[in-house]
Amino acid sequence: MISSDVIRGYNDTMILYLLLDEPSYGYEISKRIRELTHEKYVMKETTLYSAFKRMESNGYIESFSGSETNGKPRTYYKITQEGKKYYKERCEEWEITREVIEKFIVEENNHEYN
Amino acid sequence: MNTIRNYLDNMFLGLPQTEDVARAKKELLAMMEDKYNELKNNGKTENEAIGIVISEFGNLDELGDTLGIKQVIENKTDIPLVTYEEAKDYIDESRATAPKTALGVLLCIISPVTLLFLIGLKELNVVHAKEDLLIAAGLVVLICLVATGVLHFIRYTSKLEKYEYLKFNVFELDYKAEEMVRNIQKQDDPTYKAAVSISVVCYILSALPVIVTPLVSEIDGLSVIAVTITLIIVALSTYNLINKSSYYEPCNVLLQQGDYSAKNKSNKTFQTVSKVYWCVIVAVYLGYSFITNNWRMSWIIWPVAGVLFGAIKAISEGR
Repeated sequence: MISSDVIRGYNDTMILYLLLDEPSYGYEISKRIRELTHEKYVMKETTLYSAFKRMESNGYIESFSGSETNGKPRTYYKITQEGKKYYKERCEEWEITREVIEKFIVEENNHEYN
Repeated sequence: MNTIRNYLDNMFLGLPQTEDVARAKKELLAMMEDKYNELKNNGKTENEAIGIVISEFGNLDELGDTLGIKQVIENKTDIPLVTYEEAKDYIDESRATAPKTALGVLLCIISPVTLLFLIGLKELNVVHAKEDLLIAAGLVVLICLVATGVLHFIRYTSKLEKYEYLKFNVFELDYKAEEMVRNIQKQDDPTYKAAVSISVVCYILSALPVIVTPLVSEIDGLSVIAVTITLIIVALSTYNLINKSSYYEPCNVLLQQGDYSAKNKSNKTFQTVSKVYWCVIVAVYLGYSFITNNWRMSWIIWPVAGVLFGAIKAISEGR
């Protein structure tokens, strides 16, 4: 399980990515992160919730209450235009970050740790 | 699922009850519940599911900034937590020692009874011993009773000493313990109120022998003996009151209500004043009585001091 500072800086990016297609709720997001990363990264509940709150106050996401077909009421989050813009910025930033860091990574190690 | 709910309750213990905090708790619980249900559906055992959910919960510190309660979360560790076991022990021990400390008080109050009784008998001419001898005998009994009473005091109050901080410091009570204490208090409330009523009525009635005797008879000795009856009634009422208040007071201490509210605890001046006050009263009582030998009047200091104490307390709280 990864818990480095680098990945923590990209929590917002992951959450926004998962909200791009459709609104979602807390557990579903954390589950999809776990699945997409093959359980290499598990986001803690408190981390997820504080990310929601922070992005909500920044206007990147909006919350609304809804329920699934089986009727359990949940707080859903959906991405805003602001959020999409922010997501794009984060992606571009990552591209640069990756380019920069890759200069310093030895090839074999890169394969090994991929 | 209850374990998870309890865990979350514990994490949120002592945080301010703002809307944001309540919402955060609700959301976190929903996420944990979803995760728990899915783990159970995937064939995990109860314990495994709970273990995973709790280990992946994270840390409330992360929420401090977002909820505007950073200050509170950082200071939270400064306040001691009283657990269920500690609370239970405190209540049990208070109840066990109450009859004994009450007995100590009773002995102190009735300590002058023999002395007064002998003086009364002498004045009634029932006994013909020398007055000095009677006074000496009465004083010996008085000193013995006070000594026994004080020993009782020291012995049994020192047993509760380790819990003293509960009375003077602000603490946090475990939520399970709080429930337990509230139930006990609710259950014993009628017993306590009945005991207080009986004692108060007895206190009032205790004045009767002293008031009525002079009206009925002119003989000096009788009024002295009337005082002994008054003292015995006062002693028994006080015993009852102290004993039964052990069913109530520890609950108030633990729930930090009444005299033990966080507000009163910060009022250190009053705590000091009250300690000094009672020491001074005891010193004045013993000093005056031994010097003037006026034992038949000096006991009046007790009801007067009690009422005066009430006034001092009211002034200190009104500030």
